Amino acid sequence: MFDQIDPRSPTPLYAQIATRLRLAVAAAELRPGDALPSVRQLAARLRVNPATVVQAYRDLETEGFVEMRQGAGTFVRDVQPDKRASERARQAVALVRRMLADAGRLGVSVEELHAAITEEIEVRTP
Amino acid sequence: MFRVILYSQWKWSRFIIGLGTVAGFGLPILSVQSATRTGDHPLQAGELLQTIQSWGALYPVLAAALAVLVAIATWAPDHRGRHVHALTLPLPRWRYALLRFGAGLALLAPPVLAVLIGAGLATALAAIPAGLQGYPVALAARFALAVGVGYAVFFAISAGTTRTASAILLVIGALIVIQVVARVAAVDLDVVTRLQILLVNWPGPLAIFTGRWMLIDV
Amino acid sequence: MSNAIELQDLHYRAGKSFAFTNLNLHVPTGSIYGFLGPNGSGKTTTIRVVLGLLRPRAGRVTVLGRDMPADAPSILARTGFVPEQPHLDPTLTVRETLRFQAAFYPSWDRTWAEQLLRSFDLDERLPFGRLSKGQKGKVMMLLALAQRPELLVLDEPTDGLDPVVRRDMLTALVDYVSQREATVFISSHLVHELERICDWVGVMDNGQLITELPMDRFKSGIKRLQVVQAPPDLAGTPFTLLARESNGGACESWIVRGWEPEMTMYFDGIGASLQTVIDLDLEEGFVELLRTFRAPRG
Repeated sequence: MFDQIDPRSPTPLYAQIATRLRLAVAAAELRPGDALPSVRQLAARLRVNPATVVQAYRDLETEGFVEMRQGAGTFVRDVQPDKRASERARQAVALVRRMLADAGRLGVSVEELHAAITEEIEVRTP
Repeated sequence: MFRVILYSQWKWSRFIIGLGTVAGFGLPILSVQSATRTGDHPLQAGELLQTIQSWGALYPVLAAALAVLVAIATWAPDHRGRHVHALTLPLPRWRYALLRFGAGLALLAPPVLAVLIGAGLATALAAIPAGLQGYPVALAARFALAVGVGYAVFFAISAGTTRTASAILLVIGALIVIQVVARVAAVDLDVVTRLQILLVNWPGPLAIFTGRWMLIDV
Repeated sequence: MSNAIELQDLHYRAGKSFAFTNLNLHVPTGSIYGFLGPNGSGKTTTIRVVLGLLRPRAGRVTVLGRDMPADAPSILARTGFVPEQPHLDPTLTVRETLRFQAAFYPSWDRTWAEQLLRSFDLDERLPFGRLSKGQKGKVMMLLALAQRPELLVLDEPTDGLDPVVRRDMLTALVDYVSQREATVFISSHLVHELERICDWVGVMDNGQLITELPMDRFKSGIKRLQVVQAPPDLAGTPFTLLARESNGGACESWIVRGWEPEMTMYFDGIGASLQTVIDLDLEEGFVELLRTFRAPRG
């Protein structure tokens, strides 16, 4: 789940972790009541500073996605379906923005990009 | 702490200690074998003293060898790592050195005891001619002291700190000087005479290695 | 005690070749402090001074609130050390090595030592001298961790080790730090490894600590700008211009420090255009910092 964590990216590590988890909740990979890995486990698995994980979890708690229960761990909260949908939409927009920026830098036109997208979707959809 | 240090030194020096113990036991026994031969006419005093004296030359050699080798083995585990491990342990350097020193002394006990037992056995079994006496305890005591002094000196040298080595040699030198001065001034210093009785020989502690090592003497 | 390690006005000299003067360094308690620097910059010497292995000519060394080297034994009882070179008795087996070490530390955790032994996959019957380099590193890490120290000092602990071993060791380190409040002082020239776990950075070069600050400020502080048509002479820049390189034609690559997003307006003012602002990762930032630090001023 976390293989895309990249310390070299301009986005701080805690933000990357939080984003990934937010997406997991939005896509229902993580359901309400599910426990997130403990700070210790996740920090060790990702080999990041535990403080980074704590910050990610705290941010998620502030946004209402999870709740940190003293002594028990961090659990996914019951999130409104529309909240999940809006999160997914946000992620989609971010993806498209990045793609357009990359395309611009490489000199790929919007039409060429559009054609490529359509082709790929056809290939991937059975 | 002492136990684990003793164990690590044991691992490095068990071969030396084993050999030393066997040698320490065998030396006195071998030196009197001419006197225990049954059936032969008993040896003349002179012949016996000759044999004893020639065998006796091996005691200081054994003592020196044990002292040097055990001293080296004491610091060998630390030398490899340039003493970094020892220096990062949570105890003062002098205490660590003391533990190592004590462990070495403990390991030197078996060979010394072997000499005592061997000497005792030898004098008991030998047919000693009239006019001569066995001195097993004195011999063993002298051996113990020789080993102790030699070990202390080589321990300091082997530790690699020139400061400690010079300090020890300085003390020995001072003892020598005291004795020289006392002799020259013909002063009857209690300390010196007691030292002389303990150490048996003149002019000083290191001379313990020289002279004749007689298991049986007049 | 706000700083686990504090070096004040440290002066050290070893013969004619190497010296540092006026070294000031602070490792905040509870931080994971990455100590970076090229080989020969004085990292190992600094670590040795911190541990009391070397005596400085002048200055104060305070570790865990106590003076070094005066209080060395009590400090070392709470400090775990993983050196660069294996320093243990090669004839003792792994099990005997553990037993030896445990005798000196009242805080030794036997259960955790056993756990680490298993997770590091070490054969306890092998003599230390016959272990591979990676296994030796793991043993030394194990010893430092099982002691449950308040401060961990690591001198290039993963240098020359394969990636799998490095991963295992760093995982154990991070695991420890998440279990208890501990300070970690780790030197390495494997910059990307430290990038993930350190929250403070100190950079050493040629006996001097050229910078010391929280990791995110270090990373965000230095940026590369792609600039087009910039005039050769620049009056006064709102940021610190560290370096300027031509990319061919009118394009240039600028390395700047202290960049703020509003500063894009500066380029309109000089008739140039700013194409992109690139964040440098830790390694690039480190290299650029050294380059500018070493370049002759003028």
